Amino acid sequence: MLNKFIIVGLALPALLLPGACLAYILFKGLPALSWSFLFSATEGTGFGATSGILAQLLGSLLLALAAILLATPFALGTALYYRLYASKRQQGLLAGLLNMLQSIPPIVFGLFGLIVFVHLLQWGVSLLSGAVILAMVIMPMLVLNSIASLERVPEQYTEAAQSLGLHHSAVIGRVWLVQAWPGILTGQLLGIARALSETAPILFTATVFSGVVWPESIFSPVTTLQTHIFYLAQEGSNQQVIQVAWGSAVVLLGVVAGFALLARCLSNRYEKTQRLGVE
Amino acid sequence: MVPQPKIIESAFSLGQSEPVALQVQGLNLVLAGTLVLDGIEIELAQTGITTLIGPSGAGKSTLLRCINGLHQNWQGQIELTGQDVHRWQGGWDQLRRHVGLIAQKPCVFPQSIRANVVFGVQGWRQRRRADGLVEEVLRQAALWDEVSGRLMASAETLSLGQQQRLCIARALAIKPGLLLLDEPTASLDPRSKQLIEQSIKSLAESMPVLCVTHDLEQARRLGGQVVFMCDGKVIEQADCESFFQRPQRLESREFLSWKVCEC
Repeated sequence: MLNKFIIVGLALPALLLPGACLAYILFKGLPALSWSFLFSATEGTGFGATSGILAQLLGSLLLALAAILLATPFALGTALYYRLYASKRQQGLLAGLLNMLQSIPPIVFGLFGLIVFVHLLQWGVSLLSGAVILAMVIMPMLVLNSIASLERVPEQYTEAAQSLGLHHSAVIGRVWLVQAWPGILTGQLLGIARALSETAPILFTATVFSGVVWPESIFSPVTTLQTHIFYLAQEGSNQQVIQVAWGSAVVLLGVVAGFALLARCLSNRYEKTQRLGVE
Repeated sequence: MVPQPKIIESAFSLGQSEPVALQVQGLNLVLAGTLVLDGIEIELAQTGITTLIGPSGAGKSTLLRCINGLHQNWQGQIELTGQDVHRWQGGWDQLRRHVGLIAQKPCVFPQSIRANVVFGVQGWRQRRRADGLVEEVLRQAALWDEVSGRLMASAETLSLGQQQRLCIARALAIKPGLLLLDEPTASLDPRSKQLIEQSIKSLAESMPVLCVTHDLEQARRLGGQVVFMCDGKVIEQADCESFFQRPQRLESREFLSWKVCEC
């Protein structure tokens, strides 16, 4: 009985603290939400105190989508290499490397992007620099997810297809990818959610605070919700600005949660239909 | 180029000079350091059933996988219609299109019945325009009457017996020259068993069929030739009646009398 109390006592803060944090953000941020706040893209006055966040919201989504589009072919290629050609030793090395890449602090990626993409390649602070660096941040997660999805394709499907004389590429295209795509798509959605959550990698590489509503090309800077909150939070003394920051936080939280929830629903559906699925 | 059948006589010959569809000579296979096939010699005529019997672990299924090219690191010779499989035009994939393999456990893809039937058909357009082929092979597999009204339903809604017949239809759709069946009726109900046996007999009128079974009664019912394997070796090959009535080898007699054979 004592053990149970100790365990519950240890578990409660882990549940209550994030819950309280979420409740506080909603409490502070929900009053800021309005039609004009969500769907206006004007720059406003007073260091963002009166501006809408449509440009920032679309900028965040654009950057995350660009990152996922850039990362997906390479992630899928790496996962297929791992599954098809890598020896046990290479698989171990690759898994270790991916786990190591996952643990690199995002600010280090940001610094790398600033030096290599912004300065060395002279892409400048731009959508392209930000998307590439975000793609690098989410790549290990996408690769590991794709590997897991491919490994869940039943071996007998591969053998049945091979028995019918299907070429290796046809087995990959018509069996592996067809069977694994819901899992891979779930990973993509989680990848978008992760990209939307990252601030540090794009802080030096993609975003500026003012003067940008919508990027004119891939070499133009972009405004994002994450960095918008970051800049607004620095204006801690201005209550109106802080209110906008809380509102932006609620919107960002909602978008990230939306993608994560969609991924979760798809994953559950995938689990259910993997053995009972229809065309 | 279609190779001409050749006339062969060997230690396990068919007993008379007739065209040979499959000839296996001195086939050895080592898996994980163990010799699982040891000097296999069998041959199959252009049509008819050959049942492969023997205790578990005798290497029957492994032999099928060698013939189908799922195992490729064997030594010896496998010839199909007189052509060495190692030099098969188009490689192993094309060889597998010539050798249909039905696994013990039916494996249908989580797609429609129709999509499963045409899964091995090459070309997207050919698969779309294969209505005639779908009906033809489903009839050959004795499944048409049961599924003709629901070809777009999920194949996984079929019973196990129906799924196995669907696998036979799927293998027939690629027009194989040889059909290999690995215990196709294991764990099926008597009705499904009967339907599949009828289907196998009917198919064997036009192509060679090599069928692994543990069911000696089924081997009798299927007739044709019998190959008895034990411990990775072919012990005896004979026609069905003489094998069951007058087995020549002590190991065969022990196996048929349910004794533990000492091969």
